[in-house]
Amino acid sequence: MNRQIPVDAGVLLTGVTGGIASGLFGIGGGVIMVPILGLLLGFSQHRAQGTSLIALIPPTGILAVLAYAKAGYVSWQTGLLLIPGVFLGGIAGGALAKRIASGKMRRIFASLMFLLGVYQVASALRG
Amino acid sequence: MTIVLVLALGVVAGIMVGLLGIGGGIVLVPAMVHVLHMDQHLAQGTSLFILLPPIGLGALRQYWKAGNVDSRAGILCAVGMILGASIGGKIAVPMSTPTLKALFGGFLMFSAVLLWLKAKPAQPPAEAPGGAMKESRA
Repeated sequence: MNRQIPVDAGVLLTGVTGGIASGLFGIGGGVIMVPILGLLLGFSQHRAQGTSLIALIPPTGILAVLAYAKAGYVSWQTGLLLIPGVFLGGIAGGALAKRIASGKMRRIFASLMFLLGVYQVASALRG
Repeated sequence: MTIVLVLALGVVAGIMVGLLGIGGGIVLVPAMVHVLHMDQHLAQGTSLFILLPPIGLGALRQYWKAGNVDSRAGILCAVGMILGASIGGKIAVPMSTPTLKALFGGFLMFSAVLLWLKAKPAQPPAEAPGGAMKESRA
């Protein structure tokens, strides 16, 4: 038996899972794929992140965008205005990351994200 | 004024992407909902549109140079993602806005926990025998 086949199947399933999260929540999917690759498939943290990034290069969300667009759920103008900022900000953030203790940053950000999640649920329940 | 706000928001989201190695969507969607007061569906659709171009290309280059990319696994993931994203999109679009908003909130909390777990002190790279001595933690 080739050991590569079960690993490939696991990786493919990781992609499907990341894709479902992507279409469902309008995100990239890396936030789901990186932990799965690392925790379940034994990728090192850096290799998991690099592999997730290469998976995000092709426009994998194209079918989801079409589904949202058909329902009128895409603001093209806002999107086009955000793209250059995200691109330039990404370069700045990458450079900044080298000078900042990332562990602490992640924890601060994770805490903010958790609180935002609580706020989001509360505001949804309020209607 | 709104245009300036939107441009600035993009830069802030991008900085988070580069800094933390996370997707832009998880930052962009809440930002559009709570700062720009967009509808949850509209924010998600717009975020997916923003993520279509390869905005992570610059970051990928850094990982590629360090040999931290498994391109075979990456391609397989991408194939799975095209399929999965179309399923996810079909589920989300007909959903009511409050349900989707609450679900996204739960997802945010779940992702926050994953992000926190990742923040644990990084273990030295076990699969790099001989390189351990050169490893200096920044």
